[in-house]
Amino acid sequence: MYLLEAFVYGAVVALISGTFLPLLYHSKDARKTSFGLSFISSILLLVFAGVVLYTGKEPVFPAFGFLPGLDLTLAVDRLSAGFILLIAVVVPGVSIYSVEYVEHAKSEARKDMQAALTNLFILSMLLVVLAGNMVGFLVFWEIMSMSSLLLVLHDYSSEENKKAGFFYFVMTSLSTAFLFMGFISLFRLTGSAEFGPIDYPASVLTLPFLYLFIGFGIKAGIVPFHKWLPYAHPAAPSSISALMSGVMLKVAIYGFLRFLLSVSSPELWWGVLILIGGSLSAILGVIYALKESDIKKLLAYSSIENIGIIFIGISLYVIFKIEGFEALAMLSLAGACFHAFNHALFKSLLFLGAGSVIHATGTRDIEAFGGLIKRMPHTAVLFLIGSVSIASLPPTNGFVSELMLFQAYFHSSPLPNPLLKVLLIITLSVFALTSALAITLFVKLFGITFLALPRTRFAEKAAEVPKLMLIGGALPAALCILSGLFSRTLILLGFGVEIPDMLVLGLILIGTCGLVWLAVRNSGPSGGPRISKETWGCGILAQHPTMEYTSAGFSEPIVVIFKKIYRTEISSTRVYADTKGSIFKSGTASIHLIKFFEERLYLPVACAVSLVSSHVSKMQNGKLDTYLLYVFIAVLTLMIFTRFFA
Amino acid sequence: MNASFILFALLNTGFVLLVSPLFMSLIKKVKAYAQGRKGPRLLQSYYDLHKLMQKEVVYSPNSSGIMRVAPYLNLSVIIVATLFVPIVFVPEAPAGIGNVIIFLYLLAIERFFMALCGLDAGSTFGGMGSSRLMSLSAVIEPTMIIAFAALAYVLKTVNLHEMFSITAGSPIPVSPTLALISISLFIIIIVETGRLPVDNPATHLELTMINEAMILEQSGKNLALIELTHAVKQIILMAVLINILIPWGLAIRLTFAGLVVSCLYFLVKASLLAVLIGLFESSLAKMRLFRLPGFYMMAFFFSALTILMEAFT
Repeated sequence: MYLLEAFVYGAVVALISGTFLPLLYHSKDARKTSFGLSFISSILLLVFAGVVLYTGKEPVFPAFGFLPGLDLTLAVDRLSAGFILLIAVVVPGVSIYSVEYVEHAKSEARKDMQAALTNLFILSMLLVVLAGNMVGFLVFWEIMSMSSLLLVLHDYSSEENKKAGFFYFVMTSLSTAFLFMGFISLFRLTGSAEFGPIDYPASVLTLPFLYLFIGFGIKAGIVPFHKWLPYAHPAAPSSISALMSGVMLKVAIYGFLRFLLSVSSPELWWGVLILIGGSLSAILGVIYALKESDIKKLLAYSSIENIGIIFIGISLYVIFKIEGFEALAMLSLAGACFHAFNHALFKSLLFLGAGSVIHATGTRDIEAFGGLIKRMPHTAVLFLIGSVSIASLPPTNGFVSELMLFQAYFHSSPLPNPLLKVLLIITLSVFALTSALAITLFVKLFGITFLALPRTRFAEKAAEVPKLMLIGGALPAALCILSGLFSRTLILLGFGVEIPDMLVLGLILIGTCGLVWLAVRNSGPSGGPRISKETWGCGILAQHPTMEYTSAGFSEPIVVIFKKIYRTEISSTRVYADTKGSIFKSGTASIHLIKFFEERLYLPVACAVSLVSSHVSKMQNGKLDTYLLYVFIAVLTLMIFTRFFA
Repeated sequence: MNASFILFALLNTGFVLLVSPLFMSLIKKVKAYAQGRKGPRLLQSYYDLHKLMQKEVVYSPNSSGIMRVAPYLNLSVIIVATLFVPIVFVPEAPAGIGNVIIFLYLLAIERFFMALCGLDAGSTFGGMGSSRLMSLSAVIEPTMIIAFAALAYVLKTVNLHEMFSITAGSPIPVSPTLALISISLFIIIIVETGRLPVDNPATHLELTMINEAMILEQSGKNLALIELTHAVKQIILMAVLINILIPWGLAIRLTFAGLVVSCLYFLVKASLLAVLIGLFESSLAKMRLFRLPGFYMMAFFFSALTILMEAFT
């Protein structure tokens, strides 16, 4: 039965040719074909993942020799098939969207590069998920990091983007370094580079666990390693943000799950650590997002929040598993995986929508938008669907995954350990606060962006985007609703867990809407509604956009309530006209938001690293004989070491 | 979907829609008496709704489809939410109907679209109302979730229908901790229906209002739908508290006599609760906006206490 494998080979070949095509033939048609190829590959993957998940067949791939003793192997099981499915549902929308979107890049070379790298990026993420051993995983992981880095640096001429690219480069290298350490320590323990069951007591797995948690946590954007997201997303093209946020973060989740699920006996503190990390990311992500007025940074922070929710689900799985509640553990795991899937859908939808809005207005600042629902009605509807899903309102998919996690929490009363229960109550309230703040966040984002009057001329002259960009958004939007309505069937097939039926709820809701409309339709005077001249405003003559609520104004109550978290610093300088300081001449005053993690964590570490490396660099004097001496000393030390210690 | 459920849906929703405006007037009446006034007639809310239904709808030119769709959607959502709170009898519901989390998030849909309505016309008042509503509802959310989690801890189910069967089926209170949760539920009613000390339903002063600010742009039958939504939301939240704390009289099975008894008992109990809410409102002044999180913490404390007691026994 080689037919099934052929789908994967077909997808890989399509993506490779999609990478080279625009680089060889620099034309619009080549780019179009290239995105067509990525679309085709995602359809092939969709069929493949669907068959594997449905039949439970695990196709076998031959190994490729890579280095002596190190083979690259590909392997697929249900876990990787699930994540291939996740890639395959996000890519079609993004590739259709990109056909038009990529043409707005500044130069021909950039357009070709973007098309090629998009394919390479998708290919590398696919291969990471397909990798059957640690070697392949790390190789593809690096290709994934580097191709996404090049995409972040797409608009390399701007100073801000250079900084973002550098930040991303440092963080992603750090992530890879931790993964290397984690995998090497696992390799030393098991003597095998294959992914397989790890039957060792948790006490010897402490270091590998911590390394991998940090390594995957950096890539997934767990607080406090999250800072690269709000930098990298605004720099990258929107279609790439959709892929990075929708898929790449999930690839990190996949890697972490791959390790965690293979450990036969994890310890309770692992679960507690992941729970605390997840809850912190969730709450801080959404709180920072509320303060943000750059649409892409806001969405990036919201990704941090959602990754936090996924980690909460994973941690509940670990905790319930250890305590022996298999059903609850499965429910939590299913919730985490389904949330990863849902987040891939609605976040790619929102990033594509944001891309359309940025394309139409030419700015990323929410304060400059307003009234876009009249100018871009289709984009507005798609964005509303995304907002409703991410705000987890029933019966959309975003609600279902949060429902599963809430249910897991609510059923935790039989846990024997009271302290654990207290921890669960605290994190449950944090989780509830997070999901309520997420609703607030998306009321703000949708309301300020699309409703009322345009606040600037950028928004005033905005026009609807081309058709293909709308279709690209419509695909994930439709999937958001469908996967919500049919969630019960999906979860039952995938995990064997019973959850409330959203289809019934959705049908009742639609039926009730129809009845209410029928009942009220004919009441009131004939002639239909009247359009007045203006919004009522206490007798003002004409409404002006400056009277509208702004993004900052909208989130002001939240900022005041959580002022302990947004630490601000007020500084002022004054210049006086006289020497005694009594006649004020000029001055500046500023309110500065302290970037806590950046200033208190990243900067000190960076300073320490640069201090150490400044000492190390003294050893580099550029003379060959000095370097030969270093080599000689190193060899000698190694010989002595192996003679006496090894 | 069985016949019993369809009958339940018709009876329960019909009953709720029918009596909900009554309690709006009743609370106004109690407040008026407390202030030494006579107050409106008990049927005044019905007359108001009827009058609004006859009036024409006026839209601002800046407003969009959100303003036109939201009143219908919100009433529908709240009507679906009534299916989660049995008042006439407890039916055999399809899986998922009655789930507390879905119930809470149905209320969240209503808030979401209400807040978007507030922003839609671009009026300063509307924006202010939405901003305050969403901020305060975010802060009350942990309290609501913990209160219902405490209920789930005590009654060992996440389904409101099953919870009510347990409380109504037992001759004595199932657990004394239910009294603690009831305090939280009472505060949740006050917050969710926008009453003093959180919001003042009788004011149109921009410094204080939350809910009234968002509906300033609404008119005609849309306003009637929003007022009705508000009344229905109030009564189902009251019903949750009543069915947890004093559930006796609620029919667990479908019989004609049980149905009548349930309805009558509910009217009496809900009237008592409405009087209590009216007196509570009359005895308090409006709190400053940023003092409210502290007030919510009190409700949070009572439900968290319940869970702690359950956890350590």
